[in-house]
Amino acid sequence: MTLIGPLVLAAFLFCVGLYGVMARRNAVLVLMSVELMLNAVNINLVAFQNLKWQDDPVATGQVFALFVVVVAAAEVGVGLAIVFNMFRNRASINIDDADLMRW
Amino acid sequence: MEALNYAWLIVALPFVAAGVIAAFGRLMPLKGAEVGLAAIAIAWVVAVMIGYQTFVNGPVEAVEQVFWSAPLGGSVLIEFGQYVDGLTAMMLVLVTTVSFMVQLYSREYMHGEDRFTYFFAMLSLFTFSMLVLVVAPNTLQALVGWELVGVCSYLLIGYYWLEKTNSDAANKAFLTTKFGDIGLVVGIIVLSVGVSAHTDNVFSIRETTELAAAGMLSEPTIVLGCLLIFLGAMAKSGQMPLHVWLPDAMAGPTPVSALIHAATMVTAGVFLIARLYPVFAQSLAVMNTMAIVGTITLFFAGFVAIVQDDIKKVLAYSTISQLGYMVAALGVGGYTAGIFHLFTHGFFKALLFLGSGSLIHAIHSNNMSDMGGMRKFMPVTFWTFVVGSLALAGFPLTAGFFSKDEVLVSAQIWASNGAASGVSSTALTGNLVFWLGLAGAMVTTFYMGRSVFLIFFGTHRGVSAHTPEEVEAEVAAGTLDPQAEMEDLDQAAHDQDAVDDLSQQDVAAGHAGHGSDHDHGSGGHHLPHESGWQILTALVVLAVLSVPVGFLGGFLWDEVGGSTERNFETWTATHLLEEVSYPFLADAHPVDLEELHGGEAEGADADHAGDGAEEGEAAGISTDVTPLAAGADLVLATEAEGGEGEVDNHVLHGAPEFHLNVFVLALGGFLAAIALAWTIYGRSRPMRDPVLHMGGVTTLLENKYYFDDIGYRGVVVPVRDWLAPAASWSSNVILDGIVKNTGGAVKRLADVTYFTIDQKVIDGGINGGAFSAAWISSKLKRLQSGDVQRYAGAMLAGVIVLVVVFAAAR
Repeated sequence: MTLIGPLVLAAFLFCVGLYGVMARRNAVLVLMSVELMLNAVNINLVAFQNLKWQDDPVATGQVFALFVVVVAAAEVGVGLAIVFNMFRNRASINIDDADLMRW
Repeated sequence: MEALNYAWLIVALPFVAAGVIAAFGRLMPLKGAEVGLAAIAIAWVVAVMIGYQTFVNGPVEAVEQVFWSAPLGGSVLIEFGQYVDGLTAMMLVLVTTVSFMVQLYSREYMHGEDRFTYFFAMLSLFTFSMLVLVVAPNTLQALVGWELVGVCSYLLIGYYWLEKTNSDAANKAFLTTKFGDIGLVVGIIVLSVGVSAHTDNVFSIRETTELAAAGMLSEPTIVLGCLLIFLGAMAKSGQMPLHVWLPDAMAGPTPVSALIHAATMVTAGVFLIARLYPVFAQSLAVMNTMAIVGTITLFFAGFVAIVQDDIKKVLAYSTISQLGYMVAALGVGGYTAGIFHLFTHGFFKALLFLGSGSLIHAIHSNNMSDMGGMRKFMPVTFWTFVVGSLALAGFPLTAGFFSKDEVLVSAQIWASNGAASGVSSTALTGNLVFWLGLAGAMVTTFYMGRSVFLIFFGTHRGVSAHTPEEVEAEVAAGTLDPQAEMEDLDQAAHDQDAVDDLSQQDVAAGHAGHGSDHDHGSGGHHLPHESGWQILTALVVLAVLSVPVGFLGGFLWDEVGGSTERNFETWTATHLLEEVSYPFLADAHPVDLEELHGGEAEGADADHAGDGAEEGEAAGISTDVTPLAAGADLVLATEAEGGEGEVDNHVLHGAPEFHLNVFVLALGGFLAAIALAWTIYGRSRPMRDPVLHMGGVTTLLENKYYFDDIGYRGVVVPVRDWLAPAASWSSNVILDGIVKNTGGAVKRLADVTYFTIDQKVIDGGINGGAFSAAWISSKLKRLQSGDVQRYAGAMLAGVIVLVVVFAAAR
C-alpha cells in the first residue's frame, strides 16, 4: 500500500475543514470543520507511522494521534460550551455577531 | 626685639576703634571719643616701645611678616603684612603721637558738633589707613593705605559739606591727588615688571630695593618707575604745581588740618620716596628732578604765605614749603635729613595748627586781621605758638633748626661730591637747594614773625571793634579787603547765635557762674578767653616735644647724653641703605646681595663697630671750624681718609655734623628776617601793610602765582567743556549704542530661534510625529476587525507565505 492515498485523503479532508472554518457562519459548523482538520492530521500521523517508519521504534505517530483525539474532544467540549453560552446571551450562534473584541 | 612683631596691633587698634565708634559711638557717654582715645593711647604705647627698641638697637634688620595673601593671577600674590624697621618705627611714633594729641584736642574743639561721633570714627579710620601705608611690606599694600588716606582726607575736608566751597575743596583735593595716583599705580607696575625678571615677589619693597641697589634693574625701568611714583608723591605731598589742593583743604576742621594736612598724610609721599630710596638713588635724572621740584616748592610756596590773612592758609603754604625742603633733601642725597625734617615738622606743624585752632575757637574767625593782642587773653596758646613758630623758623636749639640745617648741610655735601665726581648737575642742584633753602628759611621766619606779631601783639581787633562804619573807614584807608571783611561780619553774626546756644546749655547745666563772661544782652561780642584743658594739654605736649625731637638727630646729641652710635640716623637707616651707592658718581659699586644676606648671620655688631669708628672720626672733624670753601670738601670720614677730591659714594645718612658756615648763615638769616618782621609788625598792625603794597609782586602772590587760574583754565575748563562732554557723548552715543544694538541683535536672534527653530522645527516635529502616529494607528486599527474567520484567513495566508518562502529557500 502506498502513502499517496492516505495523504490525498488527508489533504482533501483538511481543505474541506479549512473551507468550513473560513466560510461557514454557524459556530457549530465551524467547530465541526475544525474536527475535520484535526482528523486529517490524524490520518497523516497514522499513515506515516505505518507506511513510512513502521520499523522505527521512536516513530510514535499512532500514539500522537490518540493524544490529538483526546485534545480534540476536550476542545470541542469547551467550544460547544462557548457556543452554548453565546446563544443564551444573544439568541444567535452566527459567528459574525461575536465581534465585541474589534476596534 | 619682640615688640616689633606687634606692630600690627598699632594698625589694628584704630581700625577696631573706627568700627566700634561708627556702630555704637552715639550710645556711649562720650559719644565715641573714649574708644578712639583708648585705642590710640594703647597704640601709642606700643609704638613708643617699638621706637625705643629700634632706636637702642641701631639700624635694625627689618621684621617682615605676611599675615594674609591672595593670588592676583599668575604667580603674583597680593600680600598684607608688616615691615618694621627704623623708618617704620619713626613713622609709627610720629603718627600715633600726633593722632593721640589731635583726638584729645578734638574732644574739646569739636564739642557740640552734629557729627561729633562721625568725626572721631573718621579720625580713627584715617589713623588706621596711614598706618597701613607705614607698615606696608610691599608696594601694593602701600597703595591700599595711600588710597585710604586719600579717601579719609576727602571725607574730613568735606566735613562741613553744607557749604559748597568746602565740598568743592574736598573734590579738588581728591581729584588732584588722584591725578598723581595714576602715576603712582603705573610706576609701581613699571617697577614690578622690572623686578619680575629676578624674583616672583614682584611688589616686595625689600626685593625691589635690594635689586636696585645691586644694579640689577635696568636704567629705563628705574627712571620711568621712579618718576611716575614721584608724580604720585608730588600730588600727595603738595609739590608744585600739584600743591593747589592743600591750601583749599584748610576747609576741613582745624584738628584735621593738623593731623592730615600737616603732620601725617602729606608726608606720605616723602615717606614712600624714603622707603624706596635705594631705587631712587640709582638715577641721576630722578634725583635731579626731586631736587628741582623740591627747591621750587620750598622757595615759592613760602612767599605766598606772606600775603595771606587767613592763619590756616599761612600754615598751609608753610607746610607746602616745608614739604619742599623734605623732597629737596631727598633729591640731594640727604636721606636722613629729609625724614628727620619730616619727623620734626610733624610735631611743630601739628602744634602750630592746633594753636591756630585754639585761636579760631576763641575768635570764631580764621583771619589774623580779627586777632591781635591775643597774648593777654590766651597766654598758653601764645607761648606754645611761639615755640612752634621758632621751631618752624629754625631758631637755634629747636627741632626745626637741627633738621633744616641738616638739609642744608646735605645739599652742600652733595654739591661737593658732584664737583669731585665731575657731575656738574649734582653740583648745581646741591648749590640750588642750599642757597634757595637758606632764602626760604628767611621767608619762613618772616611770615611766621608776621603771623605771631599780628595775632598776639598790638591791640585786640576782635569783632566787637568792628562796626560796619569802621569797616568802611578801613576800606577807605585801603587796609582791608572789603568783601572778606563783610563776610567776616556775617560769620561773626552767625557765630554769635552759636555762642548763645552754647551758653544757654551752660546755664542749664548749672554753670551760671560763667554767665558774666557771656553777656549777650548788650549785643557786643564777648572777649576771647583761653581754651580748656584738653586743647591746652595737646598744645603743651606738642610744644614740649618740639624741642627734644630735634636733639635726637642734631649734632648736639652727644652733648645732651646721647651717642653717635645711637641717634636719629642709626635709628632710621637700614643695612641696605648703608651699602647703596650712587652709580652716577665716582667710585660706584653695586651692592653684593649674597654678601648682604650672608653678613646678617654675623650679627649687627660688626656693622656697629664700623659705624662707630666712622662716626667717631666724623664727629672729630666736625669740631673743626669749617669756612664755606673748605666745608664743601670736608664731608665724611671716608673722604677724609681717602684724601682730597675723593667722593664718599654712599647715601647720606652719616652722623650729624656741625657746619659753622651753615649755622652762621642760617642764624643771620633768621635774625634779619625776625628784625624785619618786628620792624613792620612788632608794635602794632600797620595801617598800610607793606607786603600788600608791593605792586605786581603782591598781585602775583595774592593770586598764588595764578596756579589756581591756570589749573582752572588749563585743566578744569577743558575737562568740563571738552573732555567731559566728549566722554559723556562717547558713553551715551557710542558705548550705549553698541550695547543697545548688541542687545537688539541678540533679541532678534532670540526671536528667530524661538519662532522658527523652537516653534516650527522642534515643536512641529514633535507634533507631526504625534499626529502621524495617530493617523497611522487610525488606519491600522481596522485590522482588528473582530472577525475570527478573517484572522484565520490571515493565518492561512501567513502559513502559505512561509511555505513558499521556505520552499524557495531550499
